[in-house]
Amino acid sequence: MKNSTNEMIKRVRFHGRGGQGMKTASRIVGTASFLEGFFVQDCPLYGAERRGAPMVAFTRLSKEPILERGLIVSPDINIIADETLLGDKNANVFQGIWEGTVTIVNTHYPASHVRNVHGIVGEIVTLDVTEIALNVIGESVLSSTAAAVVCKLTGVISESSLEKAVTRELSSINLKKETIQKNVQAALICFDRIPEAHPHYFEPIKEDKKDEIVKLEYADACLGSPSVYAKGSTKLKKTGNWRLFRPVIDHEKCSRCYTCFVYCPHSCISIDGDGYPQIDYDNCKGCLTCFYECPKKVISKDREVKAW
Amino acid sequence: MVKEMLTGNSAAAWGARLSEVDYIPAFPITPQTEIIEVISQWINDGEMNAKFTNMDSEHSMITAAGTAAATGARVFSATSSQGLLYGYEMLYNVTGWRVPLVLVNVSRGLSAPITLEPDHNDVLSARDSGFIQIHAETCQEILDTILMAYRIAEDERVLLPVLINMDGFYLSFTREPVEVPGKDEVSKFLPEYNPKHAFFKASNPMSQGVAVLGGSAYSYFKYQMHLASLNVLTVHDEVAGEFKRIFGRSYSAIEAFKIDDAEYVIIMSNSFTIKGKAAVNKFREKGLKAGLLRLRLIRPFPSNELKTLLKGKKAVAVIDQNISPGSGGILSKDVTTALYHEPDRPEVILSFIGGLGGKDISHAEFNHIVEEMEKSIETGIVPETQLLYTKNDLDQINNLLNIAGKTLEELRN
Amino acid sequence: MSMKNAAYKKFKDISREEHISPGTALCTGCGGLLALRLAYKVLGENVVIVNAAGCFTLLSVYPYSPFSSSWMYTAMACAPAGAQGIRDALDILIKKGKLKSEENLKVVVLTGDGAANDIGLQSTSAAIYRGLDFYYFCYDNEAYSNTGFQMSSATPYGSRTATSLPGEINPQGTVQRKKDLFEIWRAHKPPYLATVSPSHPVDLSNKFEKASKFEGPKLFIALSPCPPGWSFDASNSVNIARLAVQTGIWPLKEAVYGEVKHTVIPKFKPVEEYLRTQNRYDHLFNPVKQVDVIDNIKKDVEQYWERYLDS
Repeated sequence: MKNSTNEMIKRVRFHGRGGQGMKTASRIVGTASFLEGFFVQDCPLYGAERRGAPMVAFTRLSKEPILERGLIVSPDINIIADETLLGDKNANVFQGIWEGTVTIVNTHYPASHVRNVHGIVGEIVTLDVTEIALNVIGESVLSSTAAAVVCKLTGVISESSLEKAVTRELSSINLKKETIQKNVQAALICFDRIPEAHPHYFEPIKEDKKDEIVKLEYADACLGSPSVYAKGSTKLKKTGNWRLFRPVIDHEKCSRCYTCFVYCPHSCISIDGDGYPQIDYDNCKGCLTCFYECPKKVISKDREVKAW
Repeated sequence: MVKEMLTGNSAAAWGARLSEVDYIPAFPITPQTEIIEVISQWINDGEMNAKFTNMDSEHSMITAAGTAAATGARVFSATSSQGLLYGYEMLYNVTGWRVPLVLVNVSRGLSAPITLEPDHNDVLSARDSGFIQIHAETCQEILDTILMAYRIAEDERVLLPVLINMDGFYLSFTREPVEVPGKDEVSKFLPEYNPKHAFFKASNPMSQGVAVLGGSAYSYFKYQMHLASLNVLTVHDEVAGEFKRIFGRSYSAIEAFKIDDAEYVIIMSNSFTIKGKAAVNKFREKGLKAGLLRLRLIRPFPSNELKTLLKGKKAVAVIDQNISPGSGGILSKDVTTALYHEPDRPEVILSFIGGLGGKDISHAEFNHIVEEMEKSIETGIVPETQLLYTKNDLDQINNLLNIAGKTLEELRN
Repeated sequence: MSMKNAAYKKFKDISREEHISPGTALCTGCGGLLALRLAYKVLGENVVIVNAAGCFTLLSVYPYSPFSSSWMYTAMACAPAGAQGIRDALDILIKKGKLKSEENLKVVVLTGDGAANDIGLQSTSAAIYRGLDFYYFCYDNEAYSNTGFQMSSATPYGSRTATSLPGEINPQGTVQRKKDLFEIWRAHKPPYLATVSPSHPVDLSNKFEKASKFEGPKLFIALSPCPPGWSFDASNSVNIARLAVQTGIWPLKEAVYGEVKHTVIPKFKPVEEYLRTQNRYDHLFNPVKQVDVIDNIKKDVEQYWERYLDS
């Protein structure tokens, strides 16, 4: 379905976790597009959650003034910077994906594997962006690398605009020159790793609005006030997929000193009947305080490569 | 049942006492102080079994009132003017908590310039907060309305707090004979508060006032407050009927004065309505078919009742004792909106601002209003919002300007 | 406090019961959450928390609650007033026989340092003045962290925040000294007042246990290392809190009716060891070392301890 007013718009949606740099990524793509002379809009959307919680950001670039705002329901490019989000229903990373969407997943798995497991429609591109970030920058902050992948796939953003945008955006959040240089380097590697711009150009399918207006009735104040009667229900949120690293206790060597249990900020370590600490992996956010504090150093950390 | 000479403030205190409230957090502000002084004295003398706490501000006072109500207590408090505004943030919180406390506001014009006498910008600033608002005309009505307010607020179809307004000085410090009902009669009318939705107790933990993120959930809870408020239109009339049965006094959402055959209708609220009634009587003596409506229930706004009462009238004039700079009178908009879709609506609706900062509304001003109504009917031209301000008023301000070292003439140059 | 009579002597004395479930929206590795979790273990289940606006607002976001007990969110300035209302209501309802006494709850105010030091200082002072029987738990992460780490009056001298960035005119970042909330509170002579640190769980537990013996205001300031705000790796919260104690920057102390006693006398590691762990102090070391600023921080610590160790 062609829509003449929006013919030249590209909509990019970034999925990540708080602290991974997706807001900055959306801004780098925004600035790079701006430098290329496009009409641009970028914005993040996050809820109450902080570091580690799913968040989303958007960039729109267009040859004509943009008559849209806020949420991108149906993206042209959809980047999932944290593969653990693939299995998180609340993160809703596949919303509005259609045959014309290019989905980028940050993973070391090949695209075919991701497609088989998740049945994603449209094209899939995979790249282990975290690996590149860890090697070049030294930490798993993905703003410049994720932005670089997106810039390349748009086919309309040059390397030099990307470089300028990375520098401009990272300077504005007061990163050190040295760190910015490493980011530029990592970004350029990612730009190169994506073999070519996405060759197709599709118009997004118009959102199918089958929804209807309902009439709200008065509800008893038990229902009509924002109070919670359930106890301890945050457990249902299963924050285990916030983890980048998984702490693993070597119970053979554990001295049952309780240090890890006492110091776990998130109530995720309990003591079993034999006095050994057990980690609640459904909820452990992977802060690694236990790993750091264990006096016998019998807790290791394993990179989470797959939480789905 | 005894009749006593009581100020509006004392009548309010009696309302709280007879409602057997559990808790009164307090902070003083003129002209509200007598209410909390009287209650404090009664509690000290063992005449009232309630907890009284002197708070550090109205913000704290309204917070404590709200959380106490959320714990399951019946709560009363009172404030005025700047105090209401100082606690403003918490008005929206307590309504969102859906707690049925009763708060009396003793109206006083807002600073700057700071003043003492009443107008209604203070209480009307809370009109969108979700508080039910009832504005009283007499000292008796204050007492009666407090009793009714707990019945309304605690009704499961409502569960919203109530703000009752009385004018500073003209009611708060004015004594009138007030019938003070007996305890037994009141207990027949007002049962104990026993909340099912919001309380704190060890055996039944709950989280209240929880943050809501996401527009669907937020819209849902906000709109529930609107629906709850609208339910008051029904609940008020039920409660008023019951009140009349037990106490013999009758209240409606809108008080109609000589309205049946009236052609020219003045709309007012609060204590100055009495001046309007006097004016109507004078006009009637001269053969003019005048009438008056007093808006008593301000939130929810009784649009349908207003429509019915004003059907087929020639002209309506709303006197707003408030001002929304750049817009005009606040209540005239609600009135006009309510009438727009009535096919047989009054031919003209005029808007006047009067009584700001307690300025008198003289008979000359009422005369002017009627003349303007007649002129509008004749010409079909409805004037812009007008300030009721007389030559005498202008002389006064000129005199004051002079003393202050400036004159109107000087300012014009 | 003497270890001999203390209720808690070692980690194994700390309750295994949890009162805050996992899965909250709080940041990974939040030091304040750890301090609250440990405090809760002593407070037990029959608690109603009155929360002021801040990071911990997000403990309960509809429709979830992490608590096994009750909670009420108020607003930023007025959690102590909210506590007053709940305490008063529980008291009068019990007195009137409308509520059984076994339904009674401990009332706990939960605020950040911004609410405690700035916008909520008046309502806090008033609640202490009135002798309100409550606990006050201030998680002090030394800035408005929930809004992105802007300066509060609990921000220490030399710290970078989003509104006191180091620049040409003020290369040290925050110019002002941290407000001494402990002393402000102490001037009210509350029955119990203490500082705690999540790095010292036994000390923290004993203080909450001791506080429970007093009726009236029981006040706590908990050092709360903030991984995103202070800018350090989430695994480091406990370590940084420990360094704050060991360098003498965060004195662990208590005051009973105003009488101060330090519960841990540090070995005084160099303050630089603490400062270097956090990027909020990075500008004091890079690109050039701001020796004068670091010296001022040292001096402040020395002067503080001279005053107390002499007396």
